[in-house]
Amino acid sequence: MHMSGQFRPSRRAMLKVGLAGAAGLAAPAILSTSPRAESGPIKIGMPVALTGPLGSVGQQTKRGAEFWAKLQNAKGGILGRPIELVIEDTAGNPANCVRKAQEMVERRDCRLITGITLSSEALAVVPKLTEWDSIFISGINGDGRLTADSFVPNFFRANISGPMGTRAVSLYLRKSNMTKFYGLGLDYAWGHNSIGVFEDEVKNGKKEFVGKIFAPTGTKDYSPYITKIRQSGADAVFLVMQGDDNNAFLSQAQQYRLPEKVKLLTEIVDLASIRAVGDASLGLIGSSRYSFTYDHPLNNEFVAAWKKEYNTYPDTFEGEQWQAMKVLEAGITKAGGIEAAKLRPALEDIEVESVKGKVFIRKCDHQGVQQGFMVEVKKKAGFETPVPEVIATFPGDQTTPDCNKMAYKD
Amino acid sequence: MKPLTTGIAGIALLAVLVLAPLGLPPFAMTLLTEAVILGLFAMSLDLMFGYTRLVSFGHAAAYGLGAYACGWLLLNTGMPMLFAVFAGALLTGIVGLGVGWMCTLATGVSFSMLTLAFAQLLYAISFKWTSVTGGSDGLAGIPRTVGPFGFAALSSKAGFYYFALACLVGGFLACRALVRSPFGAVLRGIRENEAKTTALGYNTRLYKIAVVAVAYGLGGLAGGLYAPFAGFANTELLFWLLSGQVLIMVIVGGAGTLVGPILGAAFFMLMEHQLSAWTEAWALYFGLIFIAFVLFAPEGIWGLATGLATGRFRPASERH
Repeated sequence: MHMSGQFRPSRRAMLKVGLAGAAGLAAPAILSTSPRAESGPIKIGMPVALTGPLGSVGQQTKRGAEFWAKLQNAKGGILGRPIELVIEDTAGNPANCVRKAQEMVERRDCRLITGITLSSEALAVVPKLTEWDSIFISGINGDGRLTADSFVPNFFRANISGPMGTRAVSLYLRKSNMTKFYGLGLDYAWGHNSIGVFEDEVKNGKKEFVGKIFAPTGTKDYSPYITKIRQSGADAVFLVMQGDDNNAFLSQAQQYRLPEKVKLLTEIVDLASIRAVGDASLGLIGSSRYSFTYDHPLNNEFVAAWKKEYNTYPDTFEGEQWQAMKVLEAGITKAGGIEAAKLRPALEDIEVESVKGKVFIRKCDHQGVQQGFMVEVKKKAGFETPVPEVIATFPGDQTTPDCNKMAYKD
Repeated sequence: MKPLTTGIAGIALLAVLVLAPLGLPPFAMTLLTEAVILGLFAMSLDLMFGYTRLVSFGHAAAYGLGAYACGWLLLNTGMPMLFAVFAGALLTGIVGLGVGWMCTLATGVSFSMLTLAFAQLLYAISFKWTSVTGGSDGLAGIPRTVGPFGFAALSSKAGFYYFALACLVGGFLACRALVRSPFGAVLRGIRENEAKTTALGYNTRLYKIAVVAVAYGLGGLAGGLYAPFAGFANTELLFWLLSGQVLIMVIVGGAGTLVGPILGAAFFMLMEHQLSAWTEAWALYFGLIFIAFVLFAPEGIWGLATGLATGRFRPASERH
């Protein structure tokens, strides 16, 4: 700071400084460009949140895609071209995600994107897809808007969306003898959105919605919330929680013996949180995006292969991402290439049989129509921790909303 | 250093930046544009931190506010981008007056804490005021509206880069004029010895409020550029993490030099981008680099570069 005034650098020295600065702005690696995408390896860009609060979810999508690529490359790739995954960490920050995705497209010549972790990241990326001439196939992004208000033609969703999960829960409840419901959600967009959809569904089903409450993320003490739920007189409480909050709530609910009085329902039953809280998750009922316990020949085959590779069962988002890769694989094979102009029509109205049964990518909003699952967390012989068991399934035409919609008519 | 040589170095750097779109591949252009925007942001903090020793832990407030304001205008009013960006900057500058008034009630660490508190307040608002800010998902799909006055060229990749570069150069010239003016002399007086400056008859608080407002306005300009550049604005832009990062950019680049923080911002962004491509533990390596700078090059990249150029580089241990 006090340097200015002391130094009298030569003109040549100052030019060096200027040039060094300019060189620093454009590191050599960034200057290189790669050959066009029509031949050579099929490059798939994955800007994933490998670190940060949702790092464990990102690690799952990474493994799901890597396992698929490994098996596929062992079979000679697709169309005789090897598959190359370009995976980088976004730390869950949309600004990083957009920058990484842009680099993957513009410098490393990826024309396919998948594995984005957070909905906020996906929502930031989709407006750019046309400019990038790239296809983004979602493996786990749940936000309803991606196939509604924010829908763009180069976006496809192979997974079950948030509204579809909530819908499966409400369809299940219509048949049950529970009549009064309460809602507990995390206090941000996803929580409010899902609790809102659930409230409407309960009222549509001619049942009673007795109240709702929202907890800030990072809440450690859930006892006041548990007291409120108890006092509401509800038969069941619908939870829209994830990560540490979900684990804290479930553990404390068990300590207060809440499940003996009030049934616990949840939007997503996730294997990771069952492992975290153990027996405190017993009796939890909810929709499931994927579970290794689904009884389907292709799933049994997948689970066996996964176990052989990793010596454990595939997790929720590993199975979801795997299904997305199978849809992508079928699309590329049908299109005979990966260029957006060819792949987009090939993916529209494509039907793929995978680990969850049939997935049909409808043309109107590129949502994967697939059956919805309700599971209950139970003890099962041969497993150390409780496992989700399927207690009901609903056909895709009942769980998928109308084209470009997030809500349901009936 | 001699004004002539600095001038020549500056013109050479500017020439490289102006000619960059001719030779760079598309992605490098994107990175360079983001570096230019972040450079403007870091330079705005340098006015407070480097020249007045007002350590702000909440400068993300300026960036985020500018981005949200500009993004909201572009999404909801159809205002052309050129005006929306400056409207965002103006609004942020006005808010900066209030922030300056409030935070300068305190000094030292208390000042820093108040700036942090204000930024966290905005962060909380951005989370809760869903109808305007989009809540935790932020504003997405922000367009580069051209408008009726024929600014179509600005919405292209190279055009937007030149727009951002013009803002950076304009901001730099304005800041340089400011710090060289009598006003700037008072700021340096506050930095070195506020009590003495007060004793000389200056109302230092008014000067501090003014510099906070200017820094916010320029930070808001950078944020306003970011919204149409990235096409979105979200709560991360108001988070304390970004406030910390911009402080690092200023320190690594060289505080109190205006040019240094611009280089620091480019360095920070490129390092973060490249390191996270190589390893998941990138934050660790970045931390080590930061520590190395503080220990061995406390005057930052700019100090290091000018020092090396004249062979007068000395590590911290050899200083008094």
